[in-house]
Amino acid sequence: MSATRSIAGANQRRDIVLDGVSKRYGTLHAYGPISFTVEDGTSVSIVGPSGCGKSTLLRTIAGLEPSTDGVARFAGQPITKPLENVGIVFQRDLLLDWRNALDNVLLPAEFRGTCDDATKERAARLLDQLGVGGFKQAYPWQLSGGMRQRVAIARSMVCHPAMLLLDEPFSALDALTRDQMNVLVQDVRQNENVTTILITHSIAEAVFLGDRVLVMSGRPGQILDDIAIPFPRPRRLSLREEPEFTEIVRRIRIHFERTGILVG
Amino acid sequence: MTNPSTITANAPAGERLRKAAVYGQSLLPPILSAVVVLGLWEAAVRTYSIPAYLLPAPSLVFEVLIDKFPMLMRQLGFTAMASAIGFFIALISGIAIGAAISAWHVFDRAIYPWLVISHAIPKVVIAPLFLVWFGFGMTSEVLFVVVFTFFPIIVNTVAGLKGADPEMLQMARSMSATPLKVLWKIKIPGALPTIFAGIKISATMAPVGAVIGEFVASNVGLGHVLIQAVGSLETPLAFAAVVVISIFGIIVWYAAEALERVSIPWHASQRISTTG
Ligand SMILES: Nc1ncnc2c1ncn2[C@@H]1O[C@H](COP(=O)(O)OP(=O)(O)O)[C@@H](O)[C@H]1O
Ligand SMILES: [Mg+2]
Repeated sequence: MSATRSIAGANQRRDIVLDGVSKRYGTLHAYGPISFTVEDGTSVSIVGPSGCGKSTLLRTIAGLEPSTDGVARFAGQPITKPLENVGIVFQRDLLLDWRNALDNVLLPAEFRGTCDDATKERAARLLDQLGVGGFKQAYPWQLSGGMRQRVAIARSMVCHPAMLLLDEPFSALDALTRDQMNVLVQDVRQNENVTTILITHSIAEAVFLGDRVLVMSGRPGQILDDIAIPFPRPRRLSLREEPEFTEIVRRIRIHFERTGILVG
Repeated sequence: MTNPSTITANAPAGERLRKAAVYGQSLLPPILSAVVVLGLWEAAVRTYSIPAYLLPAPSLVFEVLIDKFPMLMRQLGFTAMASAIGFFIALISGIAIGAAISAWHVFDRAIYPWLVISHAIPKVVIAPLFLVWFGFGMTSEVLFVVVFTFFPIIVNTVAGLKGADPEMLQMARSMSATPLKVLWKIKIPGALPTIFAGIKISATMAPVGAVIGEFVASNVGLGHVLIQAVGSLETPLAFAAVVVISIFGIIVWYAAEALERVSIPWHASQRISTTG
């Protein structure tokens, strides 16, 4: 739809633009065709049934898994190789056991060869902001699941990523920790103003964190609905009990009930 | 809590004493069982007047051990030297070959079957061939140690390097990591626990390999002492040599464990108590 945006305009705004993007593994059609735009600095949540191609789509956007049809663009350029500067957080924190929290956060900077004093300061500050500033020297095995995931988020942010890709980052956490993480992520990405795509199985989480929520169908995943979330920020957790919020949640749930898939 | 390594320098004295006591208690069963076995052995030899060339009493073995101690230590020096040189050659080449196998698929396909065949051949049987190929002396012995010990190191290096988490590697790609940095910062540290498992096996096999090498190709070393003693029916001396070799093997094992502890303190197997 907005793929016709002029190249010059797209260059100034670092939008993510998907135009008829589709991925097949041999005969298996993982997802697509999918078209949508994530505008610079906004946050889009994606919900959809298991196996509908969400993770694959995220890998395509990161440049890790080329699409078989269509074009994905970032800042006007077709994504053909791993993007230089994305922060990714997976369900598993993927911290290195032999590095303490601070050194884990610094890993992407070391890979890029940009690990100077300023970066170290930033890493420390991010850990402070995420509430694990007291554990900079702690090793992953000394941290709880929620703390480890906070370290992983700090790591994804340390190099000022152009986009933040979150693939079910809180699925392994308990409900209370998960709520906490939702608030923390909202705060951090508000500070950093980073373009974000969040994949989640929790409809409430999708609505809480998104400026928009995209609803995907079963495999091959396509966009069933694109819902703008109007609530101003910062949002409070209690927003989730407001009628306007539950109305949106209901609208999304109906999609899954209709297609026979229940999520969340 | 029974882990002796939880005793730290800054722990309160009472706590340290308590932990030392716990550690002492854990030593009690093996000491008791050893005393019982040796006692029965001694009693049997004396009761049935078994001749020393058949089965020497532990007390006699101990006597010979003390008597011949300087000679045994000198001969151990030769054996230890051959073990160490052979083991380090096996270590370096094993890690290099293992890294090449894990890095290049072609290399893997070309080399791995040969390695498996070489491992399946009973080494003890081919030891005399080393005498034919490399002559009498240190070279044969060291090369035999290399052949005897390199396999666990290669296999574990390959397993460790190939075992890198695919999701972690994907993340590294998204961090624009070069292959060399991925190897250095992710694959090698991640492989260390597995490589150490191989090192511990190989390091303790090395003295055994050296002794076998000395059986056929040396006129020094504990293997030579052993075979000479058996040949002249000096069985107590043969037992004394076996005791020295065994104790050396145990020391090597604990040295490898200590090295492991300082090298990979972060690994689950090495973690000291979280409260300490
Ligand atoms: N590398 C791959 N090779 C083959 N099939 C794959 C690969 N990655 C994912 N798939 C398949 O694509 C489909 C979508 O997977 P995925 O993107 O992980 O789904 P989701 O994240 O929505 O649960 C699944 O059927 C999965 O088996
Ligand atoms: Mg997935």
